[in-house]
Amino acid sequence: MAERKMQKDVVIVGGGPAGLAAAVRLYDKGVKDILILERESKLGGILRQCIHDGFGLTRFGETLSGPEYAKRFIDETLKRNIPYITDTTVINVTPEKLVIAAHADGLIEVQAKAVILTMGCRERTRGALAIPGTRPAGILTAGVAQSYINLHNRMPGREIVILGSGDIGMIMARRLTLEGAHVIGVFEVMPIPSGLPRNIEQCLHDYDIPLSLSHTVSDIKGTDRLESVTISEVDEHLQPIPGTEKEYPCDTLILSVGLIPENELTIGAGAVMDDHTKGPVVDEFCQTSVPGLFAAGNVLHVHDLVDFVSLEAEALADGAAAYVQEGSLPACNIPINCGANVGHTIPQKITGARDFQLSLRVRKPIENAVIRVMDGDREIARRKVRKALPAEMIQFTVKAKYLTDVSELIVSAE
Amino acid sequence: MNREITCIVCPNGCTLNIDFEKNGDGKTSVTSVRGNLCPRGRDYAVQEMESPMRTIASSVLVTGGELPLASVRTNAPIPKERIFDVMKEVRKVTVAAPVSAGDVIIKDVLGLGVDIIATKDVF
Amino acid sequence: MQIYDVAVIGAGVVGSAVARELTRYELKTLVLEKELDVATGNSSRNTGMLHAGFTYKPGSLRAECAVEGNQEFDTVARELGVPFKRTGKLVIGFTDQDLANILKFKRIGEINGVKDIRMISKEEIQRIEPNAGGEFAMHVPASGILDPMAYTIALAENAAMNGAAFRFGCRVTAITRVSKDEAAALMKADDQGDSIPGDNAPLYKVGTSGGTFPADVLYRIETSGGTFLTKWVVNCAGAYAAIISEMLGYPKYYQRGFKGEYFVLDKKAGAFLKTPVYPAPNDKGGFSTHATPTVDGNILVGPDSYLTEGLEDYANIKERLDGLFRDGSRMFTQMKREYFIRNFAGIRWKNCDPETGEVLDFILESDSAHPCTVNLVGIESPGVTSALPLARRTVKKILDGQDALGQPVAVNPDFNPIRKAIPRFSEMTIDEKREAIRKDPNYGQVVCRCENVTKAEILAAIHNPLGVSTMTGIKNRTRSMMGRCQGGYCQMRITELLEQELGLKPEDIRYQRENGWFFAGRMREVE
Repeated sequence: MAERKMQKDVVIVGGGPAGLAAAVRLYDKGVKDILILERESKLGGILRQCIHDGFGLTRFGETLSGPEYAKRFIDETLKRNIPYITDTTVINVTPEKLVIAAHADGLIEVQAKAVILTMGCRERTRGALAIPGTRPAGILTAGVAQSYINLHNRMPGREIVILGSGDIGMIMARRLTLEGAHVIGVFEVMPIPSGLPRNIEQCLHDYDIPLSLSHTVSDIKGTDRLESVTISEVDEHLQPIPGTEKEYPCDTLILSVGLIPENELTIGAGAVMDDHTKGPVVDEFCQTSVPGLFAAGNVLHVHDLVDFVSLEAEALADGAAAYVQEGSLPACNIPINCGANVGHTIPQKITGARDFQLSLRVRKPIENAVIRVMDGDREIARRKVRKALPAEMIQFTVKAKYLTDVSELIVSAE
Repeated sequence: MNREITCIVCPNGCTLNIDFEKNGDGKTSVTSVRGNLCPRGRDYAVQEMESPMRTIASSVLVTGGELPLASVRTNAPIPKERIFDVMKEVRKVTVAAPVSAGDVIIKDVLGLGVDIIATKDVF
Repeated sequence: MQIYDVAVIGAGVVGSAVARELTRYELKTLVLEKELDVATGNSSRNTGMLHAGFTYKPGSLRAECAVEGNQEFDTVARELGVPFKRTGKLVIGFTDQDLANILKFKRIGEINGVKDIRMISKEEIQRIEPNAGGEFAMHVPASGILDPMAYTIALAENAAMNGAAFRFGCRVTAITRVSKDEAAALMKADDQGDSIPGDNAPLYKVGTSGGTFPADVLYRIETSGGTFLTKWVVNCAGAYAAIISEMLGYPKYYQRGFKGEYFVLDKKAGAFLKTPVYPAPNDKGGFSTHATPTVDGNILVGPDSYLTEGLEDYANIKERLDGLFRDGSRMFTQMKREYFIRNFAGIRWKNCDPETGEVLDFILESDSAHPCTVNLVGIESPGVTSALPLARRTVKKILDGQDALGQPVAVNPDFNPIRKAIPRFSEMTIDEKREAIRKDPNYGQVVCRCENVTKAEILAAIHNPLGVSTMTGIKNRTRSMMGRCQGGYCQMRITELLEQELGLKPEDIRYQRENGWFFAGRMREVE
């Protein structure tokens, strides 16, 4: 089989909710020369294993499971006959937008006018946390456990301890319990839970699974298979407090300790990265510092609601369509920086001439929060949020009419 | 007795402060709800305390398909206390491929007026 | 049941090297390993240095073997298809005391025969390794870096290809000398199907006579995985060598365990350090924490050093990890918490004088009081560097022993020193990638995204010559599960391939050790 060298207007790396939403919107905007490259055997991305509901409340007014939400976009993609190849892993994207991918039929090389990066994210691991102790079988991240149970029909263990109150960890606490495992407890190093309140209620309280805040795993025991974990209380510096150790016999430790955007390809393409988001710096078109290279979804910054992912991807598609059709996009020279209590913002640069969607996360929980977008002393936009939580991304539109003559925006929350 | 829960009806996520009593027959009745910005919050509080309802998702075995499992869910909430009974029914089921999202896998499970539907295509 | 000519206890780097060198001769070789793969002990828990030999007492076996092993390694690496970089090493100093200590080592190196050691200036340091500090340094061009796990696997596979038998899950519990008649009775009972627990694999049933040595020295080795008969016993049991030494009738040597913990840093950090840089030794000749590039482009921070008594006390301790982070940050200024991908520990079991605690030399001995045995005890740093030189000396003892018995051993005319590694997709050029996929479409399916490992490599690893089938076995043969996501993306695929290719049930999958089950079972049982 000859390897394939192609020219395309747009290549989309990743056929999950972000990639598919972008593809459909691009097509409807008149850019039809698209190719989606997906590394799994099926489209849908991580949603394929998120079989719980709660997806699509904002988008479709329904509470769908992950596969159903994905199916909406897959159906739209198929309806339009948008070309896609599965079982293909992109191994390189050059700054000149040459995309190289590996497929069983041969190496695929596509010269694209625009490349859309929607590769999603990976999970933080035990090694990254440097949890002390031994290295037995039985330690895995929540997403891997989810994949084993929901896609591969494998049960990872029976007596479970979960570290991290991230949404995935809590979802898995429920899933494991429903399938007959015993979840001993969920331990969270921060003084506040990192997942959504809905999940604390419906995944933990419903099943009498205790949630212990300000606790962490301070030791792991077991030579062949996990035998127990030691849990310690932590101080204000998140360090284990000596003397508070308690040993919990178990056979499985599930880690839900954070998601990290998967940006190896982005870095390889030369895009400037943002240390706060772990994703590329983008402008209001979701364009990275490399012209014609765009990013949306979890690869740009970790989302909590897939509905926002689709929205972001569609905004990206508008920008990418304009780029393809006009050859370039207006310059975005006005920086957006983080002020008090704001962890990160997307985008980090704007034109100042258009309405744009601002996404941000606060650093700590704030009741009756006021989000302010300031240019020096001038207030450009303000938004009230009853309960601002780091676990819930905040999104709102900033109107162009307030942006005349701005030089730098600072977003803060009080 | 008193309990605080987060309302999940809309993104406001009001903290509902609920006073309730446990009756002789073990049932709960709500005496007051505070903190809701709208009447739906009050309704949610009452339902949560007196007859909590839940949707659940799980999987059924598939034979002759490209995947070993099809994900399923309840197409409407069921009483929280019946979750494990419903799970028992779900565990009994094996379906033959092809399965389409939306297919009814168990009709009117345990007479609760709720179907178990497939949420994934498995060909 | 057959009588082996040589049974090697321990499939670490030394045991595997001995096995490989034994197969150069007509010697039916058996390697008994208690774990489910090679190099699970300290052979894979070290810095991966190919030492030059400037820190070892002149005239010691250690020094002799280090220099010999160092000088031949370009050839060895080529023959065995293992990654190796002769990077050289810098030992940097700032003070007059540092200079004095470094010069001591320079002198020792020169006496030991290490070539081309030079003292260099600050400017030269910067040219060689821009990220190193130091006012002056000793440059040792002979030092290098290798992957000790890959090296051990290669030695073992080459041994297996040349006829050595590897038996995993065989922890030695007793070694007894048996007479010819006792051996014959054992073999007869086995052939009749009487239950001698263990060696029932048809591969090893060679009629009734098996061994061809009509000598009167025979050993029965009982293990957790069966009973074996052999003429020679070689002790390469590493952490357990002192115990096996006693079983063989040698003294139980006094040892002290110097435990060291390590951090592994992401390849992004690897961009900042290409040459191993060590701080000047302290007055006792020891090195404090340092950062070393690995041959695959990661960085190892460590080891530190503290005493332990647990033979396999490999657990990491928080205070130690914190200390490594602090010290490492001083040595290696590009240290960022997000570069940390994992940690591990190893133990250097040193032969020591029981009175003074002085560290003694390697022990490699064989004598008529312990006929047909070779005893290797206390082979720690530079164990990896010294493996083949020690192996050759071990084989020589056996050849000499056989000569003395009037039963000289013939050379194996079919011995092939060449072993090819599984070709790595990630290291191929674009054209090579195209060609690889053309020849084998499985090279077009990337399984491990972080390290770009393809299905072809996973399959080759699953069907490895040693019959290893653990998850870590696959990991160590391919680099899958070793990257940033630590298996988060690929492990599901790999368990599936293992089950498929080897006909395993979910409960059969092992992470690393015998009882390291991976799955409690299926989530839904199939009828």
